[in-house]
Amino acid sequence: MNKLLSLLTPALLLVCSRIRRAKAHPTAALLLLVSALLLVWAVLPGSAAAEDAKLPPGKPAEPKMPAIEIKSIPDADNYCIQCHTQLDTGDPKDQKFHIPLESLKNDVHWQKGVRCQDCHGGDPSVQEIKAHQANDDFRAIKSPTDIPNFCGRCHSNIEYMRHFNPSPRTDQLAEYWTSGHGKKLKKGDPQVATCISCHDQPHGNAIDLKPHGIRPVNEPASPVYHTKVAQTCSKCHSDQKLMAGRLYKDKPLPCDEYAKWSKSVHGEALLKKGDLSAPTCNNCHGNHGAAPPQMDSVANACGSCHGKIGRLFAETKMRHKFEKEGLPGCATCHSNHEIRKPSDDLLGMQNGTFCARCHEEGKEKHGATLAGAKAAETIHADLEHLKNGIHEADKTLTEAEEKGMEVSEPKFHLQKASDSLTNARTQIHSFKVNVVQTALADGEKVVKEVQGKADHALEEYQYRRYWLAISLVPILMVIGLLILYIRAMPIPEKPVDS
Amino acid sequence: MSPAKPENFQPERAQPEDTGKPGWKEAVKGFFFERLGLDGVAALAAHKRVPIHSRSLFYFLGGMALFLFGIQVVTGILLSLYYKPSPDQAFESVRAIVTEVDFGWLFRSIHSWSANLLIGVLFLHILTTYIMRAYRRPREFTWLTGMALLGVFMTFGFSGYLLPWNQLAFFATKVGTAIANSVPVVGKYLLLMARGGEEVTGDTLARFYALHVVILPLSVLALVGGHLFLVQKHEMSVPEDMIKKYGSAKKAPSMPFVPHFLLRDMVGWYLALGVLAALAALFPWELGQKADPFSSAPPGIKPEWYFLFMFQALKHLPGQLFGIEWLEGEVVGVLFFGLLGLMVLLVPFLDRGAATGRPRRVLNFFAVLTVVFFLYMTAWGVLEKPAQEQPAKTPQTTADSPEGPPVKGTP
Repeated sequence: MNKLLSLLTPALLLVCSRIRRAKAHPTAALLLLVSALLLVWAVLPGSAAAEDAKLPPGKPAEPKMPAIEIKSIPDADNYCIQCHTQLDTGDPKDQKFHIPLESLKNDVHWQKGVRCQDCHGGDPSVQEIKAHQANDDFRAIKSPTDIPNFCGRCHSNIEYMRHFNPSPRTDQLAEYWTSGHGKKLKKGDPQVATCISCHDQPHGNAIDLKPHGIRPVNEPASPVYHTKVAQTCSKCHSDQKLMAGRLYKDKPLPCDEYAKWSKSVHGEALLKKGDLSAPTCNNCHGNHGAAPPQMDSVANACGSCHGKIGRLFAETKMRHKFEKEGLPGCATCHSNHEIRKPSDDLLGMQNGTFCARCHEEGKEKHGATLAGAKAAETIHADLEHLKNGIHEADKTLTEAEEKGMEVSEPKFHLQKASDSLTNARTQIHSFKVNVVQTALADGEKVVKEVQGKADHALEEYQYRRYWLAISLVPILMVIGLLILYIRAMPIPEKPVDS
Repeated sequence: MSPAKPENFQPERAQPEDTGKPGWKEAVKGFFFERLGLDGVAALAAHKRVPIHSRSLFYFLGGMALFLFGIQVVTGILLSLYYKPSPDQAFESVRAIVTEVDFGWLFRSIHSWSANLLIGVLFLHILTTYIMRAYRRPREFTWLTGMALLGVFMTFGFSGYLLPWNQLAFFATKVGTAIANSVPVVGKYLLLMARGGEEVTGDTLARFYALHVVILPLSVLALVGGHLFLVQKHEMSVPEDMIKKYGSAKKAPSMPFVPHFLLRDMVGWYLALGVLAALAALFPWELGQKADPFSSAPPGIKPEWYFLFMFQALKHLPGQLFGIEWLEGEVVGVLFFGLLGLMVLLVPFLDRGAATGRPRRVLNFFAVLTVVFFLYMTAWGVLEKPAQEQPAKTPQTTADSPEGPPVKGTP
């Protein structure tokens, strides 16, 4: 503080001298005075600014978290464990409180050394029922509504979580309260997903003592491991009974999302090919803050993976038109859960194409134009042209290769045309004919070159056969003449001296 | 009983009358003969005769091998003008030869086809020599030099196979050189010597190239020189039955080598040239894909057909013979082929009845067995479909398996 004052004193003196000079301008003098007063307030002891100024520069104040006391006690002396793991007596009353040790061993908390008292409180050193009331800090879960805060007590505490991970994630609880689940739970609906519904399936929301096998998220056996997320969500979202009567934006919640997604290009990639980069529910909806993407954020959700397409779409007029019409961006054409692998046949104005849904003459919807229909037809025709060109060039190359001609270099080069086609398919999302045509032009050039080389290889093969026939003629003639000469040539007897 | 005369046997024509003054042809001939000392060669050529009998065709095989070797030299020199022996450039340079260099495809294909025909002709040459018992005294060293030449030409084939640095050749070489590791005591050193290190790398390519274009050609020149010298020295072998029939080798019907046999040789050479041209034009030698040392072995890797009988046998030998731990199948296989090679090499000395004309029943039994074994294993190797699920089902040795001793027939 003293250092700060020593710095500010000359500044105040300077302000005062300016006030003297500014007498001729009362407004300026007033402004300078207010500034000076603010400066003085800033350094007064007890002011908020002064409190901040106490901190070293560049270090903002940290939010205060309630400290969590870690009660370390050997498992052998921990009566919570001793009692609750041995209550497998067969008596339903006891059974309710029985926690199998095998289940605990899979639990991430158990593996990290977190024991009963760390979550539930109480005194583990007391072998009496009163242990549950010791110090009045025993925490029981009486209803699903208790669960988020119960877990969040530790999982939202940065300092505590740092014991287990140097850069822990602690926003799950905050996210949860923004999710569809969290909002409904706050309204008192107990039939919604809470932490254990997903993290400790198959126990789900059962409020008994069983949910003690919460596996690490990155463990393949965890119900929230990437390949298991969709099945976990579907436990509730495919349950017709559970979904009955539930609404989203005044429309009934469907329960066929999992069935649709598992048939989609994403579902097949993840479930059949084991492609861990394929998205599952939480990649579009979020996990702790699970909620459907809004109409205007669908493209951003898709764009988080399909970045280039997302950026192209964001710059189009179509995007604004979609937003105006209340159409859900990418999902307008590609649907949401049942996203099939797109093909060029879905483009253009023939029956069943995406474009024809809105641009069909006489049946235009959502302000679609005929110019758009023409653009779709042109783009489709141009794509087909390059595709056919690649196919023809490849066919000719294969024919030449089967004849033993060396065409590995043009074959490799042809891949560039395929790359160009892929790029053009991406550029479709700009909805501009010239952009797509520019992307296709490189491929067309490559196809022309490769087709030329492939044709040349076939010509060369024919040329070789032709010249083989021509060269065999003199060879056979020489052989014939030699044979004639040999036949006419007498074989002399051995000289007498031999 | 007078010896049978060939069908077109006629007395020698009368020589033109000597005018005493040499014509221009004689003058030119005299010029060179005097300066190059060709009189001895001419005398040898005039003296050299080739026996005439039902198996006379066998005599063409040696000349055919020599002709094909000539083709190899010419096409090899032309290829060496463009070939670059480094892992980065070898494949690309061969591709450039077959796609960009004028007639490069022709020379490369002829070189490859001719190499294979040459080995085939050498096999037949050795087999027919055995059949005619032509190795008998005093031609034992002719047989030995011939066998050495077969070994050199097979090494030619093995080293040349790697030079295009394609995927099949790379892995076949890896497997082929790894077999050397199974030789007891010196196996490790043989492997290091063959590869120029622990693995097949650019060093292997460099030494295979040196072997292919310097060491082996010089060896061939020396061995062919010795072989031809011995052939001239001891003259062409006459089969035993002909000697018996005519009383002595000298009395058996024969024809002069120059020009009679040489002209017949030329018919064969022209035929070979036509066959090579047809093979090159209709079935260009495949180049394949560039070797990728970090990829897994492609399915169906196999060596050239003349190594296939050994490869196939070693591949299908169990890891341990009769379940005995120390009796490793591959080691036994390598020793067996070593012994077989030694037996073939020593045939002139093993055939104790060659001098007296006593039948060689035991030797013939083993010879037939060897030929049947060779044909069967080669056919099996050619016809065997590659196992798609187990692409690397090839003989493995400790050299390729850092984990320990080889496990036969496992990937």
